[in-house]
Amino acid sequence: MNGLIEILLLLFLLSSFLLTCSSRMLHCIRLVAAQGLLLGLLPLAVARFEHKGFSTGIVLLALINIVVKGGILPYLLRRSMQKADVRRELEPLLGYGASSLLALVMIGASFWFSRQFDGAINPVSRLVAPVAFSSILIGLFLIIARRKALTQVLGFLTFENGIALFGAGMMLEHGAIIELGILLDVFVLVFVMGIAVFQISREFQHIDADRLNSLRDYPKENTAE
Amino acid sequence: MILLLAVILPVLAALAIVIGGRKAPPARGRNWLLAGAVCHLLLCLMTLRLGKSWTILTIHDQEWLALDRFSSTILLLTSALFLWVAIHCRFWLKAEKQLLEINQAEPGASAHGRLLPEWIFLPCLLAFLAAMTLAICASNLGLMWVAIEATTLVSAPLICFHRSAAALEAMWKYLLICSVGIGLALLGTFFVALADESHFGLNLAILAGRAEALDARWCKAAFILILAGYGTKMGLAPFHTWLPDAHSEAPGPVSALLSAALLNCSFLGILRFTQFMPESLHDFCKTLLLALGFLSLATAAFFIIRQHDFKRMLAYSSVEHMGLLALLWGCGMRDLTMQTATLWHLIGHSLLKMVLFLVAGNILLAYGTRSVTAVKGMFSSTTRNAFLFIAAVLLVCGTPPSPLFVTELLLVCQLGPWGGGAVLLLLFLVCAGMLSTVLKMCMGTSTRFANETRPARLAEELFAVPAVVLMLAILFGGAVCFWLTRMNVWW
Repeated sequence: MNGLIEILLLLFLLSSFLLTCSSRMLHCIRLVAAQGLLLGLLPLAVARFEHKGFSTGIVLLALINIVVKGGILPYLLRRSMQKADVRRELEPLLGYGASSLLALVMIGASFWFSRQFDGAINPVSRLVAPVAFSSILIGLFLIIARRKALTQVLGFLTFENGIALFGAGMMLEHGAIIELGILLDVFVLVFVMGIAVFQISREFQHIDADRLNSLRDYPKENTAE
Repeated sequence: MILLLAVILPVLAALAIVIGGRKAPPARGRNWLLAGAVCHLLLCLMTLRLGKSWTILTIHDQEWLALDRFSSTILLLTSALFLWVAIHCRFWLKAEKQLLEINQAEPGASAHGRLLPEWIFLPCLLAFLAAMTLAICASNLGLMWVAIEATTLVSAPLICFHRSAAALEAMWKYLLICSVGIGLALLGTFFVALADESHFGLNLAILAGRAEALDARWCKAAFILILAGYGTKMGLAPFHTWLPDAHSEAPGPVSALLSAALLNCSFLGILRFTQFMPESLHDFCKTLLLALGFLSLATAAFFIIRQHDFKRMLAYSSVEHMGLLALLWGCGMRDLTMQTATLWHLIGHSLLKMVLFLVAGNILLAYGTRSVTAVKGMFSSTTRNAFLFIAAVLLVCGTPPSPLFVTELLLVCQLGPWGGGAVLLLLFLVCAGMLSTVLKMCMGTSTRFANETRPARLAEELFAVPAVVLMLAILFGGAVCFWLTRMNVWW
């Protein structure tokens, strides 16, 4: 039992869960930043308890991770939040009570689902797989059940953090090039999405993604033909 | 080393344009684009001649970039297609600018004519080429994932060339749906790493050598995720929803690149994963590929009939052909003839789809609308484009001189009476739907060019590149027929 890792993982789970029941955008952005921070700390905790010692590679990667996911991405998100002038997600497609209940169900399902992996692999902690899968599911859920384009970006980041947690917790080592590449991709993605959110808010006077539905196969005005 | 250069050179050219900034004369940026494309093609041609040591990049005893039979063909194809698009862009961008001036000169012109500045558009095109090159050459699954995700990111701004609300919507859907899909593919890639207990990393050559030692359960889960993930990017049926929006809203040359080059890269991603699946999973992979293939064909056939938007129609035709590729690869994973047929289908589809989207871009330029009911009388107003469009549609539906005829025939023979019959029926529906739409567009008389013929003339001047590519496609089809007759695989 190495408590620190479990604490980190549980905090991660808590932050994903809180995302489903908070309506203030700034609060959500802070939660995602906290996830990034925890994700960066995890490899350091693992290295400490495996008694491998801190190699420069691990420390550098963790630092870059923390800076990008805990610092730069939230900054970009906050900026596009201020530019698009949204503070709250007022009318989600699914209310906050129902959302948090559903999140609990998803967490339970992930724990049940992850029991099947016991013995097949040896992660750093048995909590890794369930926490990662819950985050992935909650992220997908946020993308589907929230209106604002910005909340969808947050949902995507939660989804991505869950996948990254899975990779880190299973101690998959695939070289610094790939780690950095994945990080760079996520960074550019949020950057582009931030610009897109701003453009959408300027063009449509709103950023409700569910009202982006003008492109379709059989448009209404064409039925007369 | 050469492959690394082929990735870096377009990026350098892109940087050169960005550094030039918005004040540089527009011709300079277009020249950089052309220079980047030519150098890239030359490098790709060099890979054919040079030995192995030049086309494999190893760092710390790990292979990072390498070419095999499939990827070298696709790389060469992508490079050639990009060069044609670069040449086309040189004239097309000028035509778009002139059209903007014409529209603004008209009384009552609205602000609907904003374009993405060229110093953003051209670097994104070049970066797109670099990302695709990396995705094709990568021999490490992680690196391939990074590159495929990068193609999404750099191609998203390209969709917004005409900065309208609809284009923004299409770009948003493209970004979100593809990123989530590709996120699933990353999870699948991690599963493959878990399947290999010895943790040798995600190197393709090593994985292929250890195929039988991989854990079948993890491989199964990985393949499902990969098929959903890269299938999203490739446009396979239940995950195709971004494709018609993005392809219809993007300007002609960009849709041509998206459809003819990008979809191939994602197909290569799926193909890579089937290469190292353990023997016991082959039937499983085949079933999944066939199911998605049939579903794509059916979806395309359903939406192509009575489609109101001719670029959406072409986009659904891409979905159809991606489905056919999945079917071909499902049948021919371990069969050399069918593997070659898959490659032929891919090449033929890319060439023809490039012609179609470039011509569709010209028609859009001339008529200013994508609605099928508003475009009439193309034979009289834009004759060259009309002939190119009709010829390319006939070929893409598989009329004999086309290479697709041969591959579709091989596929139907391979699938047996029921499967083959179903494929034939769906292909017939697609063909009927496309031809009726296209004939409607070509016939009749148009009132649009009664007093203003300049847009039509601009579109007519842009016929050269599509015409050349169409000739190449026909020649390629002839070569395929001839070769098959010599190899005696017909019956």
